Amino acid sequence: MRQLTLNGLFLLAALGSSACVAPAVATRPETADDDGAQDQAAMGLRDHHRHQHRAGVLQFTAMSLDTLATEDARQPQVERIHGDLHACMAPTSGLHRRLLTAIADGVAAGAVDAQRIQPIIEDLNAAGAAIQACGADALNRLHAMLSPVEREDLTDKVRAHWEVWRQVNAEEQAGARGPGGRLAVLTQELGLAPGQVDRISAALQLARAGRGGTFDREKASVDVQRFTEAFVRASFDARAVAGVESTRLAGHGAARMSVFYETVTPLLTPSQQAALAGQLRNRADHNPAVSSN
Amino acid sequence: MNKTLVTMLKGALLLGAISAALAAAPAQAQIEIRIGPPAWYIATSRPTYYEGHAAYWYGNRWQYREGNRWHAYRDEPRYLRDRRGGHRDRERHDYGHGNRGGYNRR
Repeated sequence: MRQLTLNGLFLLAALGSSACVAPAVATRPETADDDGAQDQAAMGLRDHHRHQHRAGVLQFTAMSLDTLATEDARQPQVERIHGDLHACMAPTSGLHRRLLTAIADGVAAGAVDAQRIQPIIEDLNAAGAAIQACGADALNRLHAMLSPVEREDLTDKVRAHWEVWRQVNAEEQAGARGPGGRLAVLTQELGLAPGQVDRISAALQLARAGRGGTFDREKASVDVQRFTEAFVRASFDARAVAGVESTRLAGHGAARMSVFYETVTPLLTPSQQAALAGQLRNRADHNPAVSSN
Repeated sequence: MNKTLVTMLKGALLLGAISAALAAAPAQAQIEIRIGPPAWYIATSRPTYYEGHAAYWYGNRWQYREGNRWHAYRDEPRYLRDRRGGHRDRERHDYGHGNRGGYNRR
């Protein structure tokens, strides 16, 4: 009897112990595949990454500061660095405004002028390296100011922005009609007819197939990873982790956006063109450095 | 003699198992989850820092990353519960072009 009790206790203790340690579910290091189609902030973020192409990783970092949970006492320091990062991005912000205005003018006129757009995109690409160099000092000061948990959180946010950017600027999605996609949003905003959507979808697939760029998505991904891995370490130098491909994110995103509107515009009615031109002008006026917070 | 030895061994194992259970007690408060909050949520939400992690309130529970794995608290810690209702933690950053990059409160 005593032997039986001891055996029972042993079994119970061993089971109890393993239940405490064992994970409930096997894990993978990834985030949920929820597209947030009903979430206003998610839709706003997607729209931003579709239309606001300024400075790749530097832009993702500046945006990450918007939701970092820094304590109130250090908030002024964060805002100073936020301002410095935006000051570094000022040249591309100006170029971007010109680009959106040029596209809006083209949409209103019924045809986007690629000859007017191309030099602006080339300037965006050329500005990338200088902007990265300008922002290095601000990034180093940011690293020195943040606590380890804040650095971890900031890099989670940078990776999150990169993931969303990749989703909304994916090559294979040209012409895709899925919920939350560029064409689906346009369909909703302009009230496109089903026949129009079919024609636009086919035209987009054709347009993308005819324009192979030199941007290397995988290399850019490695750049982002190098930055995030370095930023969580105790010592950090932004100049040492500056990636080449990630400086081309802005130019690549802008080029994709331009092709989209060039392709779509002739397939819209005049009233749809006027409405879209108005939306693009609103986006041209959008200033991410201005917060109502 | 043999029987005594077996009993002693079992006793030692039992003690070990109890110690392991006690040492692992904090793990009772958390579970590993397969996937964490979606990227758009992390990019637009302000977390709360607790026990060295950025905890995000998503899917009606606090979730945080530790290394390459995401965890959730099985029982909501009081510190986090007290902050869940705070206005700062309910803010979502809305980057929509109509909002000029400001905040929206849920």
